[in-house]
Amino acid sequence: MDFWLSYATLASIYVLLGLSTNLLVGIAGIFSVSQAAVFGVGAYIVSYLLMNEVTSFLPAMLVAAVFCVLLNVLVTLPALRVSGDYFVVTSFGIQLLATAIFTNWTFGTGGANGLPGIPPADLFGKTLDSTTQMVELCVGAMILGCLAFWLIMRAPFGRLLRAIREDELAVAAAGKNVLRAKVSAAAMAGAFAGSAGGLYATFLSFIDPSSFDLDASILLLTMVVVGGARTLAGSIIGPFLLLALPQVLSLIDIPTTIAAAARQLIYGVLLIAFMLFRPQGLAGEKL
Amino acid sequence: MLALQLLCNGLATGCALGVVAVTFSLVYSTTKLFHVAHAGVFTLGGYLAWSMTTRGTPFIVALVVAVAVCAATGALIQAWLYARLERRHATHLVILIASLGTLAVMQNIIAAIYSPNILQFSLSWASEVVAGGGSVRLTVIQVLIVVASLAAYGGLMWFAHRTILGKQMRAVASNPFLAEITRLRPRRVHVYVMAIASAVVSVPGVLVPVDLGLQPYNGVTPLLTATIAMIAGGVGSVTGAFVLAVAIAELQNLSLLVIPGEWSIGITFFIFVIFMLFRPTGLFAAVR
Repeated sequence: MDFWLSYATLASIYVLLGLSTNLLVGIAGIFSVSQAAVFGVGAYIVSYLLMNEVTSFLPAMLVAAVFCVLLNVLVTLPALRVSGDYFVVTSFGIQLLATAIFTNWTFGTGGANGLPGIPPADLFGKTLDSTTQMVELCVGAMILGCLAFWLIMRAPFGRLLRAIREDELAVAAAGKNVLRAKVSAAAMAGAFAGSAGGLYATFLSFIDPSSFDLDASILLLTMVVVGGARTLAGSIIGPFLLLALPQVLSLIDIPTTIAAAARQLIYGVLLIAFMLFRPQGLAGEKL
Repeated sequence: MLALQLLCNGLATGCALGVVAVTFSLVYSTTKLFHVAHAGVFTLGGYLAWSMTTRGTPFIVALVVAVAVCAATGALIQAWLYARLERRHATHLVILIASLGTLAVMQNIIAAIYSPNILQFSLSWASEVVAGGGSVRLTVIQVLIVVASLAAYGGLMWFAHRTILGKQMRAVASNPFLAEITRLRPRRVHVYVMAIASAVVSVPGVLVPVDLGLQPYNGVTPLLTATIAMIAGGVGSVTGAFVLAVAIAELQNLSLLVIPGEWSIGITFFIFVIFMLFRPTGLFAAVR
């Protein structure tokens, strides 16, 4: 029973991350391998604020979300102003830099040992310390996130983003500001990833750099690719399927030393296979 | 004295990075693909050479075999993956994701076979000191890296400007459409380009680990530095990419005097941001 609860909680958090990656990669069409870094920044900010009792849970989440929005705007704006390919470099750079900071800035992040003992979340003065309550919080956050994503995508702004993916030049010729729309998508992606980070930290009560490295970013990309780009259903299916994969792998007898490599290998194979045979994913639209 | 030693180390790393940058730029300018899996080819070369030398194969034979296998790998990635995707008019993003997938596959096959831990070559000649006195020392392998990298760079320049295939490559790079109607067959040229770039990048791919050791995920940082060098040097300028790679490596090494080594990625990225804000076309941008 506890296993299913924690699976549901983690999957909900990863759905938020899937929405974030989908906004950036699927909808705005920006290749990104740094979503895990933004996720990590959110997690570390919320942990810091809660552990030092600066604020309660909700304000901490807000700070994390705002900070991640600013971060994403700051990194996408100069790169996108120049060329889409430059963002690939920016993205790898941000991810490697973030891993270096998470691992080496021992004072702020606990370094490679991570941060233990993050207090549980609280809502309106009530501490949510049981797993059931945490599941409710995360599933609630997921539903809110999905609702926001759905509303954004059917608003005029969502149509603008879709149009950009179809034909960027035509949209620009129609007098729309393409750069601003892309940067806004990146900003929203930041808000999603930052709040997912806060939930993740309070749920596990322990975070370390290995949850936010390049491999984690590749996992997020695989989730979107497998689920399907640009749709809500895709962002939900991907995380639920891929989080079940480690459990399936544990049924097969693989030596623990190569388990991590085997998992990442499967993600890589999935990325190639889906791009070759089904670029729209299980429930998505043309990538 | 320490500064001098760091300059020497920087020269060796910089020349190796220069080759990565030049080969990446070759692929990028001809196929227009951001070939992320180049980092995987770079890593593969080192591991192949390591397995052979630990089984007693002479180093030079191991190097040649590694170069050949990497060339074949590069050609296969182009022919089986990129070309296939391009035939289906896949978007740039799709090819980029496939390339990242290829990188993940290569790195993790290596990690599953050789373990993710650091491996060292056991070649006693490599760490012998050639020159230097006191605290400054230049090892055989460092000299070899510099010489081989400069030779690879020179060879590539000669090849691109003096041979028929090289001229075809540049023709395809500058105007693929015109190349197509003059029966240059860009697709086939792309395969040659990938084979050549992968062969050349595996030379530092083998030599650098002899000096610094091997790790399956160690290809990404050099690739990032090399792409930054390519952009800062000006896309399309091969010499610019090489010069900037050496300059970035020297800056990284000199920064060790004031900042601990684990932050050197920060220095590299900082250089990139500066260029992006103030001179996005790079230092030696080709006149168009």
